Amino acid sequence: MSNVNATTFTIVVVLFLVVTGAGFAAARWRRPPNMMHLDEWGLGGRGFGVFITWFLLGGDLYTAYTFIAVPALVFGSGSIGFYAVAYTIMVFPIVFIFLPRLWSVSRVHGYVTPADFIRGRYGSRGLALASAFTGILALMPYIALQLVGIQAVLTVMGVGTSSTNTFVKDLPLFIAFLVLAIFTYVSGLRAPALIAFIKDTLIYLFVIVAVFYIPTRLGGWSHIFGVAQAHFASISPATKKPLGTFVPTSKSIGSTQFDFASLALGSAVALFLYPHAITGTLAAKRRSTVQRNLIYLPLYSVLLALIALFGYMAVADPTTAANVKKTGNPQLAVPYLFQHMFPSWFTGIAFAGIIIGALVPAAIMSIAAANLFTRNIFTEFFKPDASPALQTQMSQWASLVVKLGALLFAVELPHTFSINLQLLGGVWILQLAPMLIGGLFTRWFHRWALLAGWLAGMAFGTIAAYNVSSAAASHWAASSDIEFGHSVYIGLSAVVLNLVIAVVLTVILRAARVPEGTDETSPEQYTADPEQAPAPTPAAVGAAP
Amino acid sequence: MTQATSIPRRSVIAAHPLLSAGIAILIAADIFFALYTPIYSRLTPKLGDFPFFYWYLLIFMPVTSVALWLAMLLQRRLGESGGTR
Repeated sequence: MSNVNATTFTIVVVLFLVVTGAGFAAARWRRPPNMMHLDEWGLGGRGFGVFITWFLLGGDLYTAYTFIAVPALVFGSGSIGFYAVAYTIMVFPIVFIFLPRLWSVSRVHGYVTPADFIRGRYGSRGLALASAFTGILALMPYIALQLVGIQAVLTVMGVGTSSTNTFVKDLPLFIAFLVLAIFTYVSGLRAPALIAFIKDTLIYLFVIVAVFYIPTRLGGWSHIFGVAQAHFASISPATKKPLGTFVPTSKSIGSTQFDFASLALGSAVALFLYPHAITGTLAAKRRSTVQRNLIYLPLYSVLLALIALFGYMAVADPTTAANVKKTGNPQLAVPYLFQHMFPSWFTGIAFAGIIIGALVPAAIMSIAAANLFTRNIFTEFFKPDASPALQTQMSQWASLVVKLGALLFAVELPHTFSINLQLLGGVWILQLAPMLIGGLFTRWFHRWALLAGWLAGMAFGTIAAYNVSSAAASHWAASSDIEFGHSVYIGLSAVVLNLVIAVVLTVILRAARVPEGTDETSPEQYTADPEQAPAPTPAAVGAAP
Repeated sequence: MTQATSIPRRSVIAAHPLLSAGIAILIAADIFFALYTPIYSRLTPKLGDFPFFYWYLLIFMPVTSVALWLAMLLQRRLGESGGTR
């Protein structure tokens, strides 16, 4: 703890305490008569308007991925990291197509999780179980990414001991983690919704200041772009290839343009398949709330593009570049840049913003995973008569277990580029696309065909991702591999395989007249907007409909 | 089942072919111009100090907002009753 800056440290601790206070106080915010109900703990009462939903979804979508992982990839490899910018452009028109339909049908039937919808649509407990399992699995590395982000900031702050024992070394991380776990347990979705206000205020503040101030210190944008262009064109002595690309290249083999586009498209389709993004959506009060948010949310994407450029600023600042090189951890690029460029009090604000910016989505993600476990595994298979209070209690505990699982991912997987944690989650969650997005528009797909497609996609995606190696790691090193001479995001190739199998088997199963299960939804429910949502009765929550 | 899902939607689209096409084009164009990288993966023309690749992506964000806003307005005109998307 020798090189801790007292001012920075104090400001981070004070802001962290403020947020912790808000997290516990959130239990009283819009307090319902009975908190022990999943609609309350897990969906904040299903009454959030445009304004709160915007903050909540923003808190969902812009995470340590945005502040740490994307700039780290830009710092290390150049323009390929900007796939995240193209992704956050494409995501809104894509979800505009299907998200309002999901909101409507979920509101009519009181669905809390995406797996609830799958079960109701296809009348298949097996398919619902597959989707719940996928959701929980895919969220683990995504939550782990948040922990890696917090760790990066703490490392640069100099907090943490030099002990070789993982537990002792990462003690500050565990403390932050524990606080997160406790206030999620107590306040449910209300906590991240309330904290999201504080988080976004801090983040807008430091990003705007950084974007205008840092270039003046580094000789302007033309110098920053110039240094970056020269840097990525230079040949690495180790691999005899350029260090990166300044704009995606179009060479036919290993073309980064194809990689860029497939990563962007895969991530864009994946985003609103994630249970936590759906949780944020279902907490909205009206159908129009969801639609209008898709118009305002791209404002966050502008921020993401600017944050990605921090990666180039870190390249252009010799001190930061040297610091990162010394540690060999590109995740530290943004924290080192801020520490070197800003006075220590402002560094404190920025660091607190990043830490809180990682805690909010981690809380929402663990709530979403917990809801999946409770409704679609525990209640469905083990205790069909569980009362709403018991379900809520189960979710509270499950949210703790999920976080521990994430901690394992954070410790076990290599994080040369932590962005891979998010891309790995994407490989898995994308396999829900045919059953979920497909199911919102047509009942043509057969449930067993969807299950077979899902299984093939999961197996192919997992094995392919496991087999990617690099100089730094023998497995799980990246999330793209070569298909037909092009470097492609594994998630995308896996979901194509998944879809082909689902289509072929559906044709066969339909010809063989295999029973297709009952569909409890009807077409007009996909565009409904009940003014006064029917109060979910205990029978509608969890028990077999 | 398939029939039941598609009939109301088809009739709304048939009743307002221009509006429906307008929505479809807005959404499709928004996705295509971000997805097809060869359009923007180059250095010039620059805007200020920003190479083309970078300012194109930055300007695309507000364009997306406006396109989705227009798409929503068109959807409203399709009417609340019908199965718009």
